[in-house]
Amino acid sequence: MTASSVRVALDLLGGDGAPDVVVDGALVAAREPGVEVILVGPPDLAADLLKARGAAGALEVEPATESVDMAEDPVRAVRAKRDATVRVAARLVRDGRADAAVSAGSTGAFVVASVFTLGRLPGVTRPAIAVTVPATHGPVVLLDAGANVECGADLLGQFALAGAAYAVTRLGRPEPRVGLLSNGTEPGKGDALRQEASALLAQLPLSYAGYVESSAVTTGDVVDVVVADGFTGNVLLKGLEGMQALARETLVRALDDPDDAVSALEPLGADRLGGALLLGVPGTIVIGHGSSGPEAIAACVRLAAESVRERVVPRVAEAMAALVARRRAEAGLAGATQE
Amino acid sequence: MSAMGKASVDSPDRDQVFAVVRDAVATVLERPPSSVTWDSDFAELQADSLALVEVAEIVEERLAPYAPEGFHIPDEELEQLRTVGEAVTLALARL
Repeated sequence: MTASSVRVALDLLGGDGAPDVVVDGALVAAREPGVEVILVGPPDLAADLLKARGAAGALEVEPATESVDMAEDPVRAVRAKRDATVRVAARLVRDGRADAAVSAGSTGAFVVASVFTLGRLPGVTRPAIAVTVPATHGPVVLLDAGANVECGADLLGQFALAGAAYAVTRLGRPEPRVGLLSNGTEPGKGDALRQEASALLAQLPLSYAGYVESSAVTTGDVVDVVVADGFTGNVLLKGLEGMQALARETLVRALDDPDDAVSALEPLGADRLGGALLLGVPGTIVIGHGSSGPEAIAACVRLAAESVRERVVPRVAEAMAALVARRRAEAGLAGATQE
Repeated sequence: MSAMGKASVDSPDRDQVFAVVRDAVATVLERPPSSVTWDSDFAELQADSLALVEVAEIVEERLAPYAPEGFHIPDEELEQLRTVGEAVTLALARL
């Protein structure tokens, strides 16, 4: 451990391959300098798994006995399970014992546990899941990728500000271009929600580029941030994952030696795209894909550590302050204190 | 934590529980605590079901020191709440 180490709480019981895959990924991640992994789960189980890998005592373990099943209602399950791994992991962040938390388990449960435990940044109604897609001309941030099925225009405005702040730090784009996902780029396109949101985004302190189509996520030459409601964003993300799987299968069938071509598609795989940041909570929360393998788990830990170092959360908080100021001005509260 | 410290185990009175609920509502809905009254209606405050659960989570945690056996507001009862006063009454009954 070093003074500058980033401490990442990792859900031992989250993911299709848990707990074995999680431990394997944790050991890979912990080899990187400046990263400490805290396994969150049953201590006996963690000890046995580490011992079996010749790594007894190599990682700190935080006790947590319960897990949330993928089929459970996230809110009810998290409410009922105080000792669930996702709750305990978020609690470590809240209490300053970890700098970030990672889980590849139920996305809904982790989002809910994070909000219940950490709360929300001022100005944030609901946090959004931000995914960085490796597009042709450079990465694109897509959000919301599934945290909020139903959204209003104000919520989409929040996503836009948070996503832009994320792109500044994560993608190194000083003035990221932001687009609103719609069914066409012409101003007359979109449903009532998109039209209202587009008018709002045009007024926010953003480099707003208007409507974009889903191809903007994969080309990367139109905008740096694509804003969507969580339902549409999730459908798009799953579609991208499906297309990757289809392309992979097609190559395997068509080529005599498809290994190079298939490996070139790996960055677009479900277990790679699944490493996503929850933007809007006062803590660094990374959501891994359920099908994550050890390398993907390690990549999630890496994303968490980098996000802490890049101060993503404080930058998102600063961006949201602009929205708070706007709301207060609209309510005639400009210059007034909150109390 | 609220003004009520963890060391105390005396049952909180109505005013203390109201203060906890009021602060939780103010935090979740980003409103000045002074704007949240006993009669404040959750629907008028635009508190959706998830916001109410967030409020319950905060209230449960802050009142937990007064309930050694555990303090939990069942979701079924939470869904029936209409006002801040009703939430205070429910919390007092559950403590």
